[in-house]
Amino acid sequence: MSTCHFALFDLQPAFVLDLEQLAVRYRELARETHPDRFADAPAREQRQALERAAQLNDAYQTLKSPSRRALYLLGLRGDTLPLEATVQDPEFLLRQMMLREELEELQDSADLAGVAAFKRRLKAAQAELEGDFAACWDQPGERERAERLMRRMQFLDKLAFEVRELEERLDD
Amino acid sequence: MAYSDKVIDHYENPRNVGKLDAEDPDVGTGMVGAPACGDVMRLQIKVNDAGVIEDAKFKTYGCGSAIASSSLATEWMKGKTLDEAETIKNTQLAEELALPPVKIHCSVLAEDAIKAAVRDYKQKKGLL
Repeated sequence: MSTCHFALFDLQPAFVLDLEQLAVRYRELARETHPDRFADAPAREQRQALERAAQLNDAYQTLKSPSRRALYLLGLRGDTLPLEATVQDPEFLLRQMMLREELEELQDSADLAGVAAFKRRLKAAQAELEGDFAACWDQPGERERAERLMRRMQFLDKLAFEVRELEERLDD
Repeated sequence: MAYSDKVIDHYENPRNVGKLDAEDPDVGTGMVGAPACGDVMRLQIKVNDAGVIEDAKFKTYGCGSAIASSSLATEWMKGKTLDEAETIKNTQLAEELALPPVKIHCSVLAEDAIKAAVRDYKQKKGLL
């Protein structure tokens, strides 16, 4: 039942992934395992088909998100990390707070160009984090650092979410 | 999900929002975050010569429960000694605010922020 998410896609566990290829493979597998194909099958097979479809979807959602993929990879290599945790990473958190303040100001001034520039900086920061994580997550003695980088990715996900919300509000 | 009246009250009228000078030797700053929901919380205390917390401020980017938990934490800390403040438990905050189980981690974050602020102050004073 608990086949590794990567194995479902015939992949070796790795952080660097071709997301387009992953999406193509996901659509193929989703077609093959679609519960509709088992509509006339016995109840047991129908149930298994549903489970496979759910597992496939869960695997895909996990692998296509860099932060979730990172969390999953660290769980494969050691203890499963809790989703909820308190992070004490003062300088990084202070920067996050300043970025949130900046976003509030962009909202108050309805500065669309400013939001676009903010988004570019955020994307660059995400790419840098992902690069740093890719380089260290499977290195001996680097687990603590990899975990910190993964947690930082999660915070930037939230920031990206806030930016999207702001864009929608400013669009109206 | 419905927030309790107390959470709404703290959310709409947060107590002690603001900032103290982090460079002040009498100020302790706790900076904590909850990565899964992206919450960031800063809690600061200003301690007088008698070891009593005479002022507390917070700033939280997060959900209503996280804001209410940190707001209530600053309210409770004022007038307490450091040792007393350190005994504030997340369960007390959660109970007072009637937080539902899925929001308990917000009160945990506030407790961790209290501890981080006290520790920062003690480190500054060479007490740790």
